Amino acid sequence: MNTFASYHPAVLMLYFIAVLLIAMFTQNPVLLALALLGGVSFCTLLERPKDFLHNMAFYIPLFLMIAITNPLFSHNGVTPLFFLNGNPVTLEAVLYGLDIAAMLVAVMYWFKCYNHIMTSEKILFLFGKVIPKLSLLLSTALRFVPLFKAQIKKIHQAQKAMGLYASNSYVDKLRSAVRVFSAMLTWSLENAIDTGSSMKARGYGLKGRSHFALFRFTARDGLLSGAAVFLLALVLLGTALKETAFSFYPRITALSASPIAILAYLAFGLLVFLPFLLEIVENMRWKALLSSVPKHGALSLSDATPGKDDKK
Amino acid sequence: MNLLEIENLSFQYPDTEKKALDNISFTVKIGEFVVICGESGCGKTTLLKMLKRELAPHGEKSGSIRYHDVEQAELDDRTAACEIGYVLQNPENQVVTDKVWHELAFGLESLGFPTDVIRRRVSEMASYFGIQTWFRKNTNELSGGQKQMLNLASIMVMQPKILILDEPTSQLDPIAAADFIATLQKLNRELGLTILLVEHRLEEVFPIADRVMMMEQGKILLFDRPEKVGTQLRDIRADHHMLAGLPSAVRIFNALEVKAPCPLTVKEGRDFLSEHFGNVVDHLDIPPYTHRDEVALEMKNVWFRYERDLPDVLRGVTFSVYEGETFCILGGNGTGKTTTLSVLAGLNKAYRGKTLIGGKKIGEYKGSALYRHNVALLPQNPQTVFLKKTVREDFQEICKVMEYGKEERQTLIEETAGKLGISHLLDKHPYDLSGGEQQKAALAKMLLLKPKILLLDELTKGIDAHSKENLSGILCDLKADGITIVIVTHDVEFAAVNADRCALFFDGEITSIDTPAAFFSDNNFYTTAANRIARHLYTNAVTCEDVAELCRLNSIAQKPESEAVYG
Amino acid sequence: MKKDLLAILFVILVIAAVINGTHIQSVDEYYLTHIDDITPESETVTISVRCDTILDNWEDLWPELQSDEFVPPDGVILPETEYVLREGDTVFDILDRAVRYNRIQMEYQGADKNSFGSVYIQGIHYLYEFSCGPLSGWMYRVNGEFPNYGCSKYELEDGDVIEWVYTCDLGKDVGCAWMGNQGEEAAQ
Repeated sequence: MNTFASYHPAVLMLYFIAVLLIAMFTQNPVLLALALLGGVSFCTLLERPKDFLHNMAFYIPLFLMIAITNPLFSHNGVTPLFFLNGNPVTLEAVLYGLDIAAMLVAVMYWFKCYNHIMTSEKILFLFGKVIPKLSLLLSTALRFVPLFKAQIKKIHQAQKAMGLYASNSYVDKLRSAVRVFSAMLTWSLENAIDTGSSMKARGYGLKGRSHFALFRFTARDGLLSGAAVFLLALVLLGTALKETAFSFYPRITALSASPIAILAYLAFGLLVFLPFLLEIVENMRWKALLSSVPKHGALSLSDATPGKDDKK
Repeated sequence: MNLLEIENLSFQYPDTEKKALDNISFTVKIGEFVVICGESGCGKTTLLKMLKRELAPHGEKSGSIRYHDVEQAELDDRTAACEIGYVLQNPENQVVTDKVWHELAFGLESLGFPTDVIRRRVSEMASYFGIQTWFRKNTNELSGGQKQMLNLASIMVMQPKILILDEPTSQLDPIAAADFIATLQKLNRELGLTILLVEHRLEEVFPIADRVMMMEQGKILLFDRPEKVGTQLRDIRADHHMLAGLPSAVRIFNALEVKAPCPLTVKEGRDFLSEHFGNVVDHLDIPPYTHRDEVALEMKNVWFRYERDLPDVLRGVTFSVYEGETFCILGGNGTGKTTTLSVLAGLNKAYRGKTLIGGKKIGEYKGSALYRHNVALLPQNPQTVFLKKTVREDFQEICKVMEYGKEERQTLIEETAGKLGISHLLDKHPYDLSGGEQQKAALAKMLLLKPKILLLDELTKGIDAHSKENLSGILCDLKADGITIVIVTHDVEFAAVNADRCALFFDGEITSIDTPAAFFSDNNFYTTAANRIARHLYTNAVTCEDVAELCRLNSIAQKPESEAVYG
Repeated sequence: MKKDLLAILFVILVIAAVINGTHIQSVDEYYLTHIDDITPESETVTISVRCDTILDNWEDLWPELQSDEFVPPDGVILPETEYVLREGDTVFDILDRAVRYNRIQMEYQGADKNSFGSVYIQGIHYLYEFSCGPLSGWMYRVNGEFPNYGCSKYELEDGDVIEWVYTCDLGKDVGCAWMGNQGEEAAQ
């Protein structure tokens, strides 16, 4: 499940920006439907089925509610279905509601995927490229927060075991929280002295600090970013030529089926399903590799050369 | 060739009367393993910090420190940062970043190395230290031992010529500590790395040191080969505080006045005993174990887990502790010892089984009734007990909570502080106390609750041998006052001295309970060093004193005119 | 957290429905408006709705509205028509009746929903405020004058001539001199 996540953070960021950019700024129902489907299927790769279903129980009602809300407040459109309190509820508004709902839910799903894929270290890495100081600051903060929390818990327990503020009344809880917090400040300062020493001992503050990261930009990263840029360009071309332009009010535009529009749809479809496809390709390759292993093993025992030839 | 040359080094902190370092001169050769020891406050940490320019404290300094024949002040910034590595005491606070790999790279980043070089050195070091399995983890998920190993590795990537360590194992459990020391020895042997180590747990480091420096009040008392230091120290002063911290073999040797080379390890100790002593008397007469009839606390088949989805931590713990008894629970890390204490203190609730305190179910104590003149828990980290600016304020607060009268309060605080020997510390900030002082102050705070049952978690963690002896004395007094004490500890030596009964905790339950003599004599591995030294001769010698006693009895029984001269 | 969000949204929807009531009419029902026949003794007013200015600012108009269907080539959405004036009729009442009778789309903000205390006309015939540039919207004129208050506050008299005109430039292009320093909304 990690094929996509293993790409270089910059490539991943580019990819997410490309998809989100289009998903957030288009009204075209085809593009949005693709974004939604792509986001949902991407999520199935990243989440456990249980969590995925659990999330569905949130997103489906949300989708419906957004879809319902729009026609109640927007009365534009040439096809009134009925009148509610003297205002028309129009077909256009209903469809536009569905469109917005699709957009919001799609964007939410993509952000979920983003959160799964872009872990803190990847974001830190990207930040670090731009502002190295900030990235180190964030890294130390991320280190410190769990430490701080753990210490608070320890202090609470120690105080409780002395019978201090052990009752469940809110006044007691608040007073104990204030006490503990003030002690935590002292503790943090004490801690910071050690951390500072440890940093100084390792040459922090010398001129010319460099920035190390585990990520390396390899050929396949170049390939993926090239593909993403190319597909994005095709979609943007469709947008620039107004071939994928779409509006709901007052009358729904007919979907363009011009070659450029179709090309843009195909390009976007490919873009959003890219993680999914990569996963499948990787799986197939893996399986092929597995099935070829015993054969190679048997061959290499008797003769090493055929195995080499197979590879080529 | 000399790596470090220290000449007439003196140092005085601002606003203090006494010099922290007083005219110190010594040299360290390349590839030497030097262990520095001394009582807390003897100036050993100050000395180490002076050697690392970036960490040198502010104050008045005189004398010279030369590194590779270069005056310290004239060292190039990069050389100073790179070639002199420094590891601090607390594993937790030294970790700077949130990822293991980033922590390893931190020093090299500071020095501005390019990515390729960092990658190579980090991967090399991670492999050497066996970090590769947790290379991508978050640093806060690591155990204390792993953290300290990471701290060491992240210094080693900078390829230092000398490694300075300030009590690096004091916060670790014995197994992690032994691991750490073994790694240091490996670095010294395989890479010829020069090591300066401050340590108070000398059992493991003493034998592997090339030279041992004993410090006292800012001066060097002794600086010689380890086998000589042990005996010389005794000759200087027979009641020297540091004697208690020496390895068991040395302590037994010191107690016996035999003219022979001083043994350092368990193996040498065994040979020494075999050579010089027989076993006509093969056991000590220990009074049989008795206990009062009243049960102070009892656990019956207690099961506990922290969360529904997590595995059980306690699996049917069953034991009872009688009134006035000192009960030690021993066992490895993560076996559930601390959790057991938290259940006894009502901080966690068992989902199955019964916990009785004073014959009453723990659930029947409402509000803070359990903590009123009943149970008190001293947690592992004594710092968590203190919230105020001075120890006295903290004490007064607890007295107020306990609703003692105003005058009663005053006398009670003075009395308790006097009993534990911390009267002079009352107006200090709790964080400014040394480890042993903090532990005593925290214990005093517990005693102000006037508990019937004291639960102590890792009482001896990070404490030097003399403070330990001190604590043993205090526990003895408390026992005499009729307080029931339950101690959870890794420290087999401490348990052997103090316990009425010991219990081994393993895999969520108590697997054996016995008196210390029987308990440690039955164990082959999980036992005191003294027992391991003497077990081939004597059946129930557990402490160094036991062994020495038996040796004396035997030398009298055998032949009074033998080479062993018993005075 | 997520469940709370859903619950809050749902509650808001329900509250909105309760406050607004749910009076549902079919399309035909809604447009079935009774228009009084004009008799010699009835008082009458005339009303017209025009959007000529858009024709001059075609490039500012939203692309989806750029069609004869929404902007008649002559700029006339409702030609000058005479309607019976009932007791207490305001400009809004006449407009409402006229557009319903002619099945012209109109969207407005009720008097209770804005700070002017008057109905505000957002769009007529799919032409909304801001549909043709940032200074565009609907204004009305009675007997050649632009009143300085809302259309549901203007009570009509016999023989009044109401003109609803679409401006693309805060009224300047339809001959309203005072607009510009006051909000456009106040013009209705």
